[in-house]
Amino acid sequence: MALIVAGVSHTTAPIEVREKLTFRPQDAVRELALLRAKGLIREGVVLSTCNRTEIYAVEESNDTLPDISSLLSNRLGDDVAGFMYVHRDREATAHLFGVAAGLDSMILGEAQIQGQVKAAWEQCRAESGPILNRMFQISLLAASRARVETGIGRGAASVSSAAVQLAKKIFGGLGGRRAMILGAGDVAELALECLLKEGVSVAIVANRTHERAQNLAERHGATAMHYEECWESLHDVDVLICSTASPSPVVTVARIRASIAARGDRPLCILDIALPRDVEASVGDIGNVFLYDLDDLRAAAAANLEQRGEDVPAAREIIAVEVQKYWDWVAGLAAVPVVREFREEMDRLRSTELAAALKRLGPLSPEQAEAIEHFSRSLMNKFLHEPSVRLKAAAANGRGLGVVDAARYLFALENKPGTDPQKGDSTDIA
Amino acid sequence: MIPIAHFVAVTFYLAAAAVAALPFARRVKAPVGGVVIMLLLGIGAHATALAGLTRQAGAASLTGLGPGLSFAGLVLVISLVVVESLAREVSLTLVAAPVAALVTVAGNLAGMHPFLEPQGVRAVWLTMHIVLSFIGIAAYATAAAAGTMYLVARRELKSARFGAIFRFFPPLDTLDRVNHLASIAGFLGLTLGLALAAGYSFEYRALVLPQIIWGMGAWVGVSALVLGRVLRGWQARRAALMSAVTFASVVALYVVFRMASLNRGQFL
Repeated sequence: MALIVAGVSHTTAPIEVREKLTFRPQDAVRELALLRAKGLIREGVVLSTCNRTEIYAVEESNDTLPDISSLLSNRLGDDVAGFMYVHRDREATAHLFGVAAGLDSMILGEAQIQGQVKAAWEQCRAESGPILNRMFQISLLAASRARVETGIGRGAASVSSAAVQLAKKIFGGLGGRRAMILGAGDVAELALECLLKEGVSVAIVANRTHERAQNLAERHGATAMHYEECWESLHDVDVLICSTASPSPVVTVARIRASIAARGDRPLCILDIALPRDVEASVGDIGNVFLYDLDDLRAAAAANLEQRGEDVPAAREIIAVEVQKYWDWVAGLAAVPVVREFREEMDRLRSTELAAALKRLGPLSPEQAEAIEHFSRSLMNKFLHEPSVRLKAAAANGRGLGVVDAARYLFALENKPGTDPQKGDSTDIA
Repeated sequence: MIPIAHFVAVTFYLAAAAVAALPFARRVKAPVGGVVIMLLLGIGAHATALAGLTRQAGAASLTGLGPGLSFAGLVLVISLVVVESLAREVSLTLVAAPVAALVTVAGNLAGMHPFLEPQGVRAVWLTMHIVLSFIGIAAYATAAAAGTMYLVARRELKSARFGAIFRFFPPLDTLDRVNHLASIAGFLGLTLGLALAAGYSFEYRALVLPQIIWGMGAWVGVSALVLGRVLRGWQARRAALMSAVTFASVVALYVVFRMASLNRGQFL
């Protein structure tokens, strides 16, 4: 028995490859069921997101990898070997924990992956089992710890979230604030969604084509306004997002100055996410106007990412601790029943042989019989001590599940009840 | 015992400022609980020092340059703890705690020699005036600290610099609100303190001109700030600038009067 993960991710495969390897939940469960039915794996979970497709499995036999590889190759329509990575046992666990914490994500520390890991595990629960259930459960705990105890998830890491972060740095919460969106395209819609999510109370959408503004406003419960009229409302607005397709700036110093007098000292945050820019650069020189263009937003996101990068070693330390805890658990689950049964078996043999020896020796005094009994027990303990310690250590270091299997085979413990964590007394702890 | 307790208090104030500055060194969030506990320990030591002084003098001693400055430092830190505990935000400590430590050290260097205080009703009257005036000045200092931080944070935001100040300073709106509330508290404290001082001067014929001028100067400064906000709609940068400039002027005026009356003992 060994733990394995095989898959592709954004670090090893381009999007054209990744999109072909995407599994829908029902496909994942079906493929895992097939692998189990063939007796190749005992447990399996498929994690499939836009950035990765990974198959986590507890191997039944040692020839699982070629089957997993051919499964992915068939899906790709080509040999997947050039894109695929494989980790076993402890490395497989560390990999999953890192993935769940966002350390292997395209945007370092992004939180979405934690939910995706949880969803993948839940979707494949029918094909999973105690080893993987426990591993996925701890991966989510480790990811939460890494996020809470380090800065890997702190700060905005995308342009849209950086825009919201900047507005919040000026206004605190955005609840109850008024926002105006110039433009009605996809980017404007994304910005509008972000603002509404933050509790912006009045959102005005203005566009040269009023129908488009109206459609967008209706979809999100905002107010549509004619492009020519929107400047009159500017004095009431706290956040102005510009995302038109205009080839020249539409927000000019003159227009902003005209609204400034009525605003008093209230700050105005202008987020210019259009390319070419919608706002004259000199607008940023006006007193209480805070102007940010795409480069500024990218710089803010990059600064946050840089900060996240500095916290990666701390997150990895947390993950290492959790990996150790998991493998300690595996050691208990896999090795302890085998060691226990092994010792009981040896003790049965010792008792039988001792009885035979005592019979052959004839009448002995109680002290003599006790001395021989003590000798046999002591000899057995000495013989068994080192194998027991090594078996537990092998299971705990993440490379010894095979050793545990070997021990079960060598000492004919395979059919003894309680020595197989998959079939015996272990329970689904998740 | 009094200098030792003061030293302990100053150490805790500076330690609190150092902990509040952690985000600039290690990119972690400042622990609110840790900063507040250090400030509270400092307050405990500071209060012990002033209680020792009171026991030594035989009456509550808030007059005289040394005791006055020490008490001002204590009130500033108390108002800081109140504001930061409510806001769960400790970046004000960066400015206010070193100011409190500096004021306390200056008080000790000037010598903890209280003036002889009157007894009975007159003592209560005088003590009330001093306490309210110090509360007013401490709140005014808090407003100025928030205003200064506003100006620094605003400059960073305007120039799109996303360093430690961007990450760890509170939002501009929060600093503006702290400035607003602290200036109102400063106005109320100084107004009541000055009203009591006027009554006291009239009743007991105790007029000290430099003190009256300085007290009026501080009151005019904080009143201008509050009236500017209420009547003229000042907020944000203008209010922040006003609070920082007027408070700096009040401090400068204090220094001028203090130097002018060095050998005459006629000033605080």
